[in-house]
Amino acid sequence: MSEDHCRFAATTYFAKNHPGETCGSNGLPLTPSSITILGRAQKLLTINHTNLCTYLDVIREKHERIIVVSEVGGKPLKDLNYKLSYENISNVGRQVSSALEYLHEMQFTHRTLAPDNILLDEQNRVKLFNYGMFYMTGGGSDVSFPLGLPKYLSPETILNGGGPSSDVWSLGIILLELCLGTLWTNLKPGPVLRRILTLVHSNNAPERIAREHDCYDKYMKIPENLRNIIEKCLKMMPSERATPSELVEEFSQVPCTEVLEAPPPRGLAGCRLQFVYHWWQLAGGDVLAELKTQGLVKNSPPILSMPVAVLLDGCTLGGKTPALFDRRVAHYTLDRLRARLAHVPPAHFHPLMHEPRHTGDAVSLPRIIRERDTEYQFYRILWFQRLLDGYPHTADLIKQEAATDIPPLLRAAVWAALLGVRGDVKDQYERVDKETPTPTDRQIDVDIPRCHQYSWRLAGGGAHAALRRLLKAWLATHPPAVYWQGLDSLTAPFLYLNFCDEARAFACLSAFIPAYLHQFFLKDNSQVIREYLAKFRQTAAYHEPALAAHLADIGFVPELFAIPWFLTMFSHVFPLHKIFLIWDALTAGGARLPLALGAALLRRLRGLLLGAGFNECILLFSDLPEVDIPGSVEDALEMSRKTPPSISYRRFANQPPVTDPLDMVEIPLDALLTETSPRISIRDVVTLVQEDRCTVVDIRSNLLFEKQCVRGSINMPYSGVQLGTRELRGPGGEALRRAGARGTTLVVAGDEDAAAVLVSTDTSGDPGGAGAGGRGALGTTLVVAGDEDAAAVLFSDYLVKCGVARVCVLHGGLGALHTHAPGLFTQRVA
Amino acid sequence: MITEENRQNVTKTFEFSFPTCTNEDVLFKLQVPVQIPHGGSTRELVQRVINMFNIPVYLEEELNEKLAKFVSDETKNFHNERDEKLLNQLKNSEINVDSIVKNWEKLFKDNVLEYAEQKGTSDEEVFGAAYHKLVHSPALETILQVERTYARTVADMLKNREEDIAKITQRQTEEMEEKVKLLNTFTTEDDINALAASHFEEQSMVEGRWGSQLDALWHAQREEYRTWIMTMVEEYQGSEALNTPSNSPLGLPPLPAPPASRAAEGVPRLEESFTIHLGSQLKQTHNLRIVAMDVMDLCRAEGESDSSDLSTRLQTALGLYSSSLSCVVLLCPESDLDSSPLGESGLLQERARAATEYHFPAPAAQLQAVAERLSAELDKRPADASPARRRRRLRAGDIYVTRHSNLAEVHVVFHLVVDDSVRSGDINSRHPVILGLRNILKTCCCHDVTNITLPLLLTHELTDEMTAAWCVRRAELVLKCVKGFMLETGSWGGAALRGLQVAAPPQLAPPVFQSLARLLPQVFRTPTPLKLNTE
Repeated sequence: MSEDHCRFAATTYFAKNHPGETCGSNGLPLTPSSITILGRAQKLLTINHTNLCTYLDVIREKHERIIVVSEVGGKPLKDLNYKLSYENISNVGRQVSSALEYLHEMQFTHRTLAPDNILLDEQNRVKLFNYGMFYMTGGGSDVSFPLGLPKYLSPETILNGGGPSSDVWSLGIILLELCLGTLWTNLKPGPVLRRILTLVHSNNAPERIAREHDCYDKYMKIPENLRNIIEKCLKMMPSERATPSELVEEFSQVPCTEVLEAPPPRGLAGCRLQFVYHWWQLAGGDVLAELKTQGLVKNSPPILSMPVAVLLDGCTLGGKTPALFDRRVAHYTLDRLRARLAHVPPAHFHPLMHEPRHTGDAVSLPRIIRERDTEYQFYRILWFQRLLDGYPHTADLIKQEAATDIPPLLRAAVWAALLGVRGDVKDQYERVDKETPTPTDRQIDVDIPRCHQYSWRLAGGGAHAALRRLLKAWLATHPPAVYWQGLDSLTAPFLYLNFCDEARAFACLSAFIPAYLHQFFLKDNSQVIREYLAKFRQTAAYHEPALAAHLADIGFVPELFAIPWFLTMFSHVFPLHKIFLIWDALTAGGARLPLALGAALLRRLRGLLLGAGFNECILLFSDLPEVDIPGSVEDALEMSRKTPPSISYRRFANQPPVTDPLDMVEIPLDALLTETSPRISIRDVVTLVQEDRCTVVDIRSNLLFEKQCVRGSINMPYSGVQLGTRELRGPGGEALRRAGARGTTLVVAGDEDAAAVLVSTDTSGDPGGAGAGGRGALGTTLVVAGDEDAAAVLFSDYLVKCGVARVCVLHGGLGALHTHAPGLFTQRVA
Repeated sequence: MITEENRQNVTKTFEFSFPTCTNEDVLFKLQVPVQIPHGGSTRELVQRVINMFNIPVYLEEELNEKLAKFVSDETKNFHNERDEKLLNQLKNSEINVDSIVKNWEKLFKDNVLEYAEQKGTSDEEVFGAAYHKLVHSPALETILQVERTYARTVADMLKNREEDIAKITQRQTEEMEEKVKLLNTFTTEDDINALAASHFEEQSMVEGRWGSQLDALWHAQREEYRTWIMTMVEEYQGSEALNTPSNSPLGLPPLPAPPASRAAEGVPRLEESFTIHLGSQLKQTHNLRIVAMDVMDLCRAEGESDSSDLSTRLQTALGLYSSSLSCVVLLCPESDLDSSPLGESGLLQERARAATEYHFPAPAAQLQAVAERLSAELDKRPADASPARRRRRLRAGDIYVTRHSNLAEVHVVFHLVVDDSVRSGDINSRHPVILGLRNILKTCCCHDVTNITLPLLLTHELTDEMTAAWCVRRAELVLKCVKGFMLETGSWGGAALRGLQVAAPPQLAPPVFQSLARLLPQVFRTPTPLKLNTE
């Protein structure tokens, strides 16, 4: 395999097992080391520097195995089969110093610098490979093997100390080795370490090393300025050693080979590595399989490593010895991905805004397949990246595209764009006090170790700390909001996606809550929640009348199951990968969607719920069965598309107050709680009537109806129906059924006089009789219209019990409609 | 390697002063204690300081800069001072260089491949790999037949031994009766004693003779079998498209007729299966089965049973070197440990003796090894350790493990030591035996044991005091604890538990069994089936 074709490489090792029966200070079991490592390593994934190989992925496999995938390019210094010129050695020194300068500035210590992780390519570009071992393993405390190679350890490291300046020592040894040839060949670790320690008695370490190797003359032949630098690196006392920044400065005074200008990268080579890695995986690239074929992952049969005894105190006798740390690196070629994308013309790698777009063949396939289709994701990711680069000017385009789907790789950035996050979020986040203790800390600390812990990313100590900071930051910036259990679940998806960018997670959360959960986190949120649940009940009745009627009959109100649904926007109910699907739709679909989604979920459970009594329902919702989430989301989008906007009006929504009487649907909360069907505004009725998408059910007496009525409306005199029954009988019933079959909205409109009649009517439904009427077959919006509302409300309840879908009540009655839109009415001559 | 000691932080005081608004010469002085090395962001600290002390915002930039520099300088000093102290100690020979270097040497040698002693693949691994390859080839049938034939030889010999011993016992009894009849007429007590002694001697001699014969047979069979497997795998590697090997050392005996089903033997055994969900948001699915049976049924040996089912045998053979092992938990009463360090676990040994152990040391040898490891470990423990750690033998809650290739349905047997307290009604979740169960589940998770059978009531037999109420209470405790342990192991990233079987004693009355079975869906959540909506 030619190294040139490899752009990724992987290394693997095992994390250390915790000894026996240990618990953390909170009494919970300790986090496995591999999860801690995984959490730390996320930060490495964000490093981007010319002289550092980009980390691409950190994977946790069975039995505490960690696999680290990283960019690779060029050849390790160790494998060079020729001697570098002094200029080129200085070049190497200069670029390594610059890499170290960056790492130290970011608070990373390399500690494992060695010629096998310094890569030099044909353009004389130097890149450090796998420089994060010390950092990700918590200074080596999470692994059982020692880090680094004995030869390059600084004296203070050997004495169990060592700070960042140890890296400079290692660099000094490497440079010296490049000049003099391999040092301490054929020596075992012990003697090498001893020799390094004896250097403490010498004033000039490199000179002494050279003498030891009988190459003092060779040492003196090294150009003086380079030799001085080496001596500065190998000063015994760390405080006297040069810092990487000083070294960069020093090397600029020394003749160095220049880095050659590489030909501009084309095709895949010009794409972001993270993208290429993602596509490579989609094209069937398997990190673990390659490690197995290259012998880096060996599986000994477990039966051979069984322990012989385990004592009660957790002490295990016998059993497997920890696997040896294999420093080798497995390389991966992009051949398969190249082949997969071979037919893509070069221009498609750089999509332009104004050009027609390409999508690949998978565009018509279900979303779950599109997410795994290499070519589709190739086009999609490049296009979204282009749009994101143009954000916020492209906000509308992003919204439009996100309605189709969101590429999982870019979800974090796309969500931020959809939520309208902009500005210097980092600065805003820095200004928030996340440390000062508050009374809610206790509850937060109890909840966090229970929040989506199946996700390895969220299970580690780092994630817990970040989640705590985010929660505290949000609470601190949003008085009078308080911490309600569930806020942790709500924050978790944002933290998961923006693991290394807390500021963006915070900005997303701060934008999400007002848009979807306005005032939900007040100390007294009962009104908000009651209104929301009432609207949910009405939405369910609108879309699933039979089900809603059944649930109402058995007294299974949404308060019993739907609070966690909406308070956490489903994030407490479903695992993360399903939340992503739901929130993709939510962020693109707006604040109306959750209600529809609730109804869609109920629809999925219809078969179970219709046959269940109160107790069964309680059990059912305590452990929700597998629900087809993509299907439910589709349903919800469809529902919300077909629902007139005023139907999901909420007083507590974060919207400007409605003043135009045409849009008015608001009624007092107490009234709302009693009404089965939602109210529709006059404006919506006018639109629907004009588009012929609704049927008005006029419940006034036939005399009034004949005098004047809405065009195309049906007359079902209120006095003519038997409210207790569940069958569509009486005048107009047949017409209503036909109208329902056409798929329109039914608007029930009432009349003042009728209302007076009705108030006295007993409306307690007959729970036994299931309305066979038009259930299921009817697919229209019914607007029940009357002159005054009360009658219409009772009538709509009757229709819902009869199983008529899409029933809503005309707000203000026909009188109001006539005042504002007389044009809709026809005069009839008796 | 950073030790706990030098990872500790130190606190330094950051000082900052700025002029008051009115007078340039009067300074406000600010002192902030900062931990070095500083974990968080210095910019955030500045914001907090500004808010807390009402510092004018125009100083923000300056504070940011100064504090960042302060922290970076102090961190450097922190590292350098610590390291220089170490180096000076080294210079003045105040440090034991030898022990440090030896420690490093050992670390490298024990943990890093390129410094480790090169050791080849062990015999066990070579043989295991060969066997695993062959059982997944057409040779499987031959292997099973050979095993069966070998087992039959052992069974024959065992039978002969039984008969022989029975015969001798019979004769001796007759002789003794004869003598006793004549007591005080022709014989004296001394005569009888002498006879008894000689009988005993004869018995042990016969047993010894059979014992060594059996040992020799096992040994010979094991050698022969292993050699045969190794030759076969070489051939297999030679010819890729291998046909069924026909060179078994015995020719091909016909496969025995399928054994009569167990149900036909008598009462069908009581069992019920469930699929359960664990976890609140992301649900793991597990299979759970409750069954009333003697767990020793899982440990039938190849030779003893015509009832041993070929398909289970096959399953077990296929799984032996895979990463999906099966195990059973046997209870080992603490009182049994009085006679020998590990108790006899007699029945199991008896079973395991019925066929030659080709893969692992013979059960007796395994027990011996366990006992040795144990005493070595216990000796190592410091004398000042807590009494719980300083003991001479296994106690309740401890486990020892044996591996078997010749038992019908299990590869691994966990022997859980129990004391008399498990018979009482009031054990709780902190009882050592329950914790022992946890250790078993943990070990299973770490070593790819994915099918577990454990005694639901923590007893293999029912006694009178174990009433129905006792059974239900005990089952509930065990199930709840097991559920907790399963949730716990979920995060460890080991092998997922595929099947958990809880076994109740076979004598259990059906109504009691039913009430135990009803516990399962109460303790665990069973998924609600989603009915297909045909509307």
